[in-house]
Amino acid sequence: MKILKLPKNKLDFFASVVQQFGEVHAPVEQNGQFAFQPVRRWSEVRLDYNRTILPPKKYFLPPRETLLQYAGDAGYVPVMEGLDKKIVLFGVHACDVYGLNLLDLVFAGAYRDPYYQARRRNAAIIGIECTPDEHCFCRSMRADFVEQGFDLFLFDIGDYYFTLVGTALGDDMVLATGPLFEPVSHQDVEEYKRRSARKREAFRLHVEIRDLPEIFEMEYSSDIWQGLGERCLSCGSCSMVCPTCYCYEVADEVQLGSREGPRARTWDSCLFATHALVAGGENFRKTRPSRVKFRFYHKQRGFVAEYGRPGCVGCGRCIVACPVKIDVVEVLNQLRSVQNVASR
Amino acid sequence: MTGCAGDQLVMLNCEDQLLDVVAALDIRDFLMASSGNDEECPLDVALVEGAVLTRRDEEKLNRVRERAKLLVAVGTCAVWGGVAAMDGGRDGDRARLLAETYGPTGAAYDSTPARALHEVVKVDFNISGCPIEKEQFISALSHLLNGNAPLFPQYPVCTECKMRENNCLLIEKGEVCCGPLTVAGCNARCPALNIACVGCRGPADDANTTSALAMFGEKGIPRDDIVRKLRTFAPMEGPGV
Amino acid sequence: MLPAADVPTYQALFTANPYLPQMARIVRVYKMVKDNHLFTMRFTDSELAQTFQCKPGQFAMVSVPGAGEAPISISSSPSRRGVLEFCVRRVGRVTDALYRLRTNDLVGIRGPYGNGFPVERILGQDLLLVAGGLGMAPLRSLLWYALDNREKFNKVILMYGAKTPADMLFREELVSLVDRVDATCLLTVDADPTGTWKGHIALLPAMFDHVQIDPANTHAAVCGPPVVYKFVLKRLLQLGFSKDRILMSLERRMKCGVGKCGHCSVGYKYTCLHGPIFTYWDAINLPEMV
Repeated sequence: MKILKLPKNKLDFFASVVQQFGEVHAPVEQNGQFAFQPVRRWSEVRLDYNRTILPPKKYFLPPRETLLQYAGDAGYVPVMEGLDKKIVLFGVHACDVYGLNLLDLVFAGAYRDPYYQARRRNAAIIGIECTPDEHCFCRSMRADFVEQGFDLFLFDIGDYYFTLVGTALGDDMVLATGPLFEPVSHQDVEEYKRRSARKREAFRLHVEIRDLPEIFEMEYSSDIWQGLGERCLSCGSCSMVCPTCYCYEVADEVQLGSREGPRARTWDSCLFATHALVAGGENFRKTRPSRVKFRFYHKQRGFVAEYGRPGCVGCGRCIVACPVKIDVVEVLNQLRSVQNVASR
Repeated sequence: MTGCAGDQLVMLNCEDQLLDVVAALDIRDFLMASSGNDEECPLDVALVEGAVLTRRDEEKLNRVRERAKLLVAVGTCAVWGGVAAMDGGRDGDRARLLAETYGPTGAAYDSTPARALHEVVKVDFNISGCPIEKEQFISALSHLLNGNAPLFPQYPVCTECKMRENNCLLIEKGEVCCGPLTVAGCNARCPALNIACVGCRGPADDANTTSALAMFGEKGIPRDDIVRKLRTFAPMEGPGV
Repeated sequence: MLPAADVPTYQALFTANPYLPQMARIVRVYKMVKDNHLFTMRFTDSELAQTFQCKPGQFAMVSVPGAGEAPISISSSPSRRGVLEFCVRRVGRVTDALYRLRTNDLVGIRGPYGNGFPVERILGQDLLLVAGGLGMAPLRSLLWYALDNREKFNKVILMYGAKTPADMLFREELVSLVDRVDATCLLTVDADPTGTWKGHIALLPAMFDHVQIDPANTHAAVCGPPVVYKFVLKRLLQLGFSKDRILMSLERRMKCGVGKCGHCSVGYKYTCLHGPIFTYWDAINLPEMV
């Protein structure tokens, strides 16, 4: 892997150069929280952010999108406009890169989602190293570091960003800056390792995921689910902010006075009473506890069965977004019958 | 029925689509929009706004029901009873209320405890909102014209609020935001403007009022305040509410 | 299983954009049982109509313009090309809209989806089909597949029970099978108000008394309401069936059919990808399955 370093004081220049690769989106502050937004001025970008309200999934699986248009005798026509817009996501945390890698698994396979895939193809990802806060447990989910899924990844090593070049596109970005990037020295590598170790020590939350799928089977009838179900408001917030929640609803709209119109998909959540409701009224997850359980179960059991790893990146968004303080780390550790402990 | 006519105003404010609406429908009886109305003819669809507050409302509603194949309740008053029903219809002593409000003449008024349409007649579909959303109104009409039921989200405002990536007034500011309990469809208009949801669209399908009350209680908000707020537009389900 | 050389050309149509239905016309609507009509459909693209292939037990996503899309199991046998038959229960938004359509109207179809019955595992062995009520719909494709490829299977046995003769799906065609010598077709009704029924009048499990079954050499496909599963599964296990020789077809909410939308999750599997056909062993291991 090509490894370089970028002088920190030249970051804004670098950001201006990457504009030629697409519209630059980066985390900016929004009333004390953060959100990925198109960058108007580089000075408003907050690379020291903790987490954005929505993960970058919003760029690839937007909350609402039209898939098809029904046009009478012409049948259904795909609506693909705008999918080729080039964007550069600047400052994506490792957990969110990992989250996109997981979504890639879902939207690939024998039936590739052309909408998601097109947007992915047209987006460049520049990752940035971060410091865990009190809700982060990405290390437990093996998402605190990513080997792939980025074009460039920046690590703060003092006066420089230690930079991993992940793809040919990343390399093009580097080259487009002229002589901006410098080779790394032995000291830089040592500094990277020092900081990497320090970050590892900084995690305050830990969940052991080994044999967790099996523990879910063992605790399928646990009382935990009843209590959580009574608390859950079915507000859907955790699903919306989750980097790996991908459930969606599909519905046809019609133009007034015709049968023609768009078929659109909208984010959905397994916490909603309608999620497993089939025509005719049978509901396979009638009760709130069964739905809350299903959400956890799918992340930690179903996703593992399908894709070999949990469908959770440990970003802490669902913990922050839950009005009734349902805390995934607490739940998982309770299932394991262990206290929340700091990782080592 | 009895209401502010705000939903009818929304219908008339569908400026871009008003011509399409008129072209697609044969409007027979729409007092606010037309001077010549046929008050007897059979109807395919009756859109009824307002809550039932008088015996006259009740009689009129029964007549509309007889005339119409489909009856659609339009607006929170029609769907849930609305602000007129904020006492939950539990002020059994109407006569005392009338006397206190209007004095001796009060007894002469035709006034009954406020009821939603479904408490009086069979309602086929609901378009909730105070007022209703233009988009939902047009969408409902379009689907009905195709013989399909209107299709609205059943989930709470929080879901749409998160889709818009708004800040959370409930969690970040501790405000009494009714987002988790209120049915979506407004695209979280108020929270997007930094105003806590007042629940004007009525409860979501699966509102967990018990848990929400406990949650607000933990924030130190007096229970009565919350209950009053939740009851402003609709009788929220739940023990003791 | 399709031989590798015989990968259907139409598949590209359904994989380039897996959400894009192809248009088909309603060729015939046969009113089989109240609210259970048989819709015959044919792709407007005649090449597609001729080349479309599926396995018995697979389903398709059927679109009614303006109303939406719903998963419906393909009732016709893959051995009969050209048209597709869907036994549609009128039960919701999409099927309701479908019932308002007439012959020659357009619908959208994409598929086929799901695993289908593992016919390759049953080849050369006995096939037992047990259906109750509307459960005949998803089994009919397998029945005809077996009858049309009769030499590939050993014994073929059908047990089908309905409340009354009027509630029996595919009644005429099934009655005509009773006299076939190369298959055992046991039709029964709980009661016969008309007095004209010539078949059995007994509960479905009683049909087991009329045939010799070799559990070690038989796969049983079961479909019906919960009460059917309750009694039939018990009977099959008593007979000594291995749990992975008992096959069931599941119904779930689906919005995509291709493993994306999340709705058809059952336990840790997706009905659309890993099902809709599951073994009884799967069922025991998947929570919320039945």
